Amino acid sequence: MGVTQPDVPGFNLATMTDAMLVRRVLDGDTAAFTTLVDRHAAACTRFATRMLGNREDAEDATQETFLRAYRSIARYEERQTFRTWLFQILINRCRTAAVRRQRRHRMFLVDDTAIAAASVRPAVDAGDLRAELKRAIDALDPDQREAFLLKHVEQLSYDEMAAATGVGVSALKMRVKRACDRMQWMLREGEASDVGT
Amino acid sequence: MSEPDDPRWLDDVAGELRREVPVRPAWRARLLDDVARAPKPSVRDIADDVFGDDEPALDRGRRRWSITVAPLTGLAAASLLVALGAGVMYVAMSSRAGADESQRAAHDGPSAASPQLVSRTPTATDREVVRFELSAPRASHVALVGSFNEWNPVATPLSRDPASGKWVVSLRLPPGRHVYAFVVDGDVTADPSAPRAADDDFGSPNSVVLVASPRT
Repeated sequence: MGVTQPDVPGFNLATMTDAMLVRRVLDGDTAAFTTLVDRHAAACTRFATRMLGNREDAEDATQETFLRAYRSIARYEERQTFRTWLFQILINRCRTAAVRRQRRHRMFLVDDTAIAAASVRPAVDAGDLRAELKRAIDALDPDQREAFLLKHVEQLSYDEMAAATGVGVSALKMRVKRACDRMQWMLREGEASDVGT
Repeated sequence: MSEPDDPRWLDDVAGELRREVPVRPAWRARLLDDVARAPKPSVRDIADDVFGDDEPALDRGRRRWSITVAPLTGLAAASLLVALGAGVMYVAMSSRAGADESQRAAHDGPSAASPQLVSRTPTATDREVVRFELSAPRASHVALVGSFNEWNPVATPLSRDPASGKWVVSLRLPPGRHVYAFVVDGDVTADPSAPRAADDDFGSPNSVVLVASPRT
């Protein structure tokens, strides 16, 4: 006689940990992946938007990230959080998108007038701190911007950042510090120029 | 927002950047549609393209590595591989035996706290019997999930102890730190009598049990 399975009630996906949801996905439960999307999509979209500077590229990178995560979810190992693993994929998608965009710009912005027009600082209202902040974050080197956002916006630990980026902890600390220094300088400069106008 | 010279400027900047970027419903629907059309993943799928072959070389030094064996050392390498293979098979067989044992739950008398180390007698697999219990008088089904059963909610059901009325199960666990939770009628809940895991994942918080190495 076969073993009788216990009478198991339906699971409340909302209360499951990410590791349990991953397990459910591997057992064929697509709804469990929907729960993972709903938990992490906002943070991923935010990071990609701040990283890439526009919504369309950010949505493409995030979409690709989730599809890759779904296809490769069997590779997820519980020794790191699902979020860190997901960010590992997202960071690479953002890096790729940034490189593609650079190539596009090199192809199309070839005349001096266009370059000059593109480099003109956008008109910023004195009170528009969000625009100032966006200008400052966009002006950071990509590796500094990435480290700053992971640390101070997504609030990953340095160990999680190291796992997600493949960069050593001390190098990441240096990048975050330089990003902070540069942001502070940029915001101070912005104030000075606003006063001067 | 505070001035850039104000020590609070970083908190203000980070707070502003943490503003949510709302997920557009149309974008979410398109993503879920693509997911539904994709082949279902399984533990047998180990795709190589998770991080993408077209990714830039920036900061990728730690992920991929390879070993090159000189031709003259081939014989030595083959011998080493045979020896390693034997070792891996031994470990796999031991682990399998331990897993089988862990599924044979032992139901002893009532205990005051959960989880409780029941036995410190070293076993052939160096595992300790740990008793988990939960007071949930209105529950109709309780299961234990954790790192030791791959968070499988059907692998380790608890039984109601007629003497105490509590839900109990005992498992043989290897020494180390184990993160776990109960599933009470489908809802995941932490063990109220155990420490919480510091690295809580999303969802309900988990609990932690530390199993010491058996005394020799």
